[in-house]
Amino acid sequence: MTETASTRGAGPQVPASTPAATESGDLGAPLYIAWQVTNECNLACLHCIEESGPGKAFHDELNDEQVFRVLEQTMDLEVPYLSFSGGEPMVHPRFFDMVEYVCGRNGQLKIETNGHYLTPENCARLKELGVKAVQVSLDGASRETFNRMRVRGDFDLALQGVRNLHAAGVPIEINYSPTSFNVHEIGIAVDLAAELGAYSFYTGRTMYTGNAVKTWHRMAPSEEQYGPFFEVLHAKVDEYRGRMRVYFHEMGLLEELRYRLHHPAALLIVLPNGLVKLINALPFVCGDLRRQSLAEIWGHFQRAWQDPRVAKFVDDLAQDPRKTATLHQWVHL
Amino acid sequence: MKLARYVKFREEKFGGVLFETRSEKVYTLNPTATAVVREIQAGSDERDIPGRLKARFRDGGGAIEREATAFLAELREKGLVED
Repeated sequence: MTETASTRGAGPQVPASTPAATESGDLGAPLYIAWQVTNECNLACLHCIEESGPGKAFHDELNDEQVFRVLEQTMDLEVPYLSFSGGEPMVHPRFFDMVEYVCGRNGQLKIETNGHYLTPENCARLKELGVKAVQVSLDGASRETFNRMRVRGDFDLALQGVRNLHAAGVPIEINYSPTSFNVHEIGIAVDLAAELGAYSFYTGRTMYTGNAVKTWHRMAPSEEQYGPFFEVLHAKVDEYRGRMRVYFHEMGLLEELRYRLHHPAALLIVLPNGLVKLINALPFVCGDLRRQSLAEIWGHFQRAWQDPRVAKFVDDLAQDPRKTATLHQWVHL
Repeated sequence: MKLARYVKFREEKFGGVLFETRSEKVYTLNPTATAVVREIQAGSDERDIPGRLKARFRDGGGAIEREATAFLAELREKGLVED
């Protein structure tokens, strides 16, 4: 048999896109798994989209055996990129064992944390294990705004955590959620992230879901506030070009979901109990890792996006943007 | 030459994908590009790769050789490989 190479489409230099933007189409497995490893959290943030907090672990979170079975499947399928979030992932009792397993099998792993457990020892361990990056939520450039938003949180502790990461040599990303009372600090927050040694800064519109449903009236930024917020960000993109990537979603949720209906991303969202969602901003579940393999769920993922209930939900969202309040009432497809 | 530290490669039915996890960029590869990456992973010398593919794919017209050369240059330009 003669092996034949043929070019496909635009050749090897197909334009790059991000994993979340890459369509799942013909891929044999996801490119990215965003795993909420627990719903437990040491903080009770006003805007938390997951309704996490102290004592908020799901009663049916994956046990150790299930966790490592999923990790094994993920690595066997050569999923190149994972993130661990929560809740607060670092309160998971097997957190470092999970990190060690993924990094030990050469997976690229990002940790998304509130930064309160980033002691010098833990940062050194993360460096030693070889995590790709640690993303820390710093919603505010001052103690006043941060502590108001991150109930039970401590700005100084989070800041020290980021400094510990930098000292240990762990790549840093900063995440920022805007509210009516911190939105004016965005410029200072971007500068602070750069000063702390971050290589990426992420932000976007705060979503009306989770804890934000209850606190929306006292924390949601107005459209008048979002205007200058995004203007500053556009300027910061230029200011930090080549030094730190300033990345933000200006597009509204509805536009994003309408695009996704026809172009599902190569991304699976895994909940603490092993349920797998189509995308965080929809209530639809396309699999259960307690009963199905990751490969089976990936096989079902494309069909699940075509379920008419998904398009109807997005259409309904256009009429009633507050339907995002129901994202935690899971619908199994 | 080897793939850069933050670059991951996976074969697919259509060819492959390169994923630069630091910038979070994904590159879709056609079969020729995929063959180039396989050669890099196997430790082939950069200068030998276009010729090896030319021979393997019986590339009489030299199109694959040229494509492989261009792709190798592009990998360097984008920082997806290192020495």
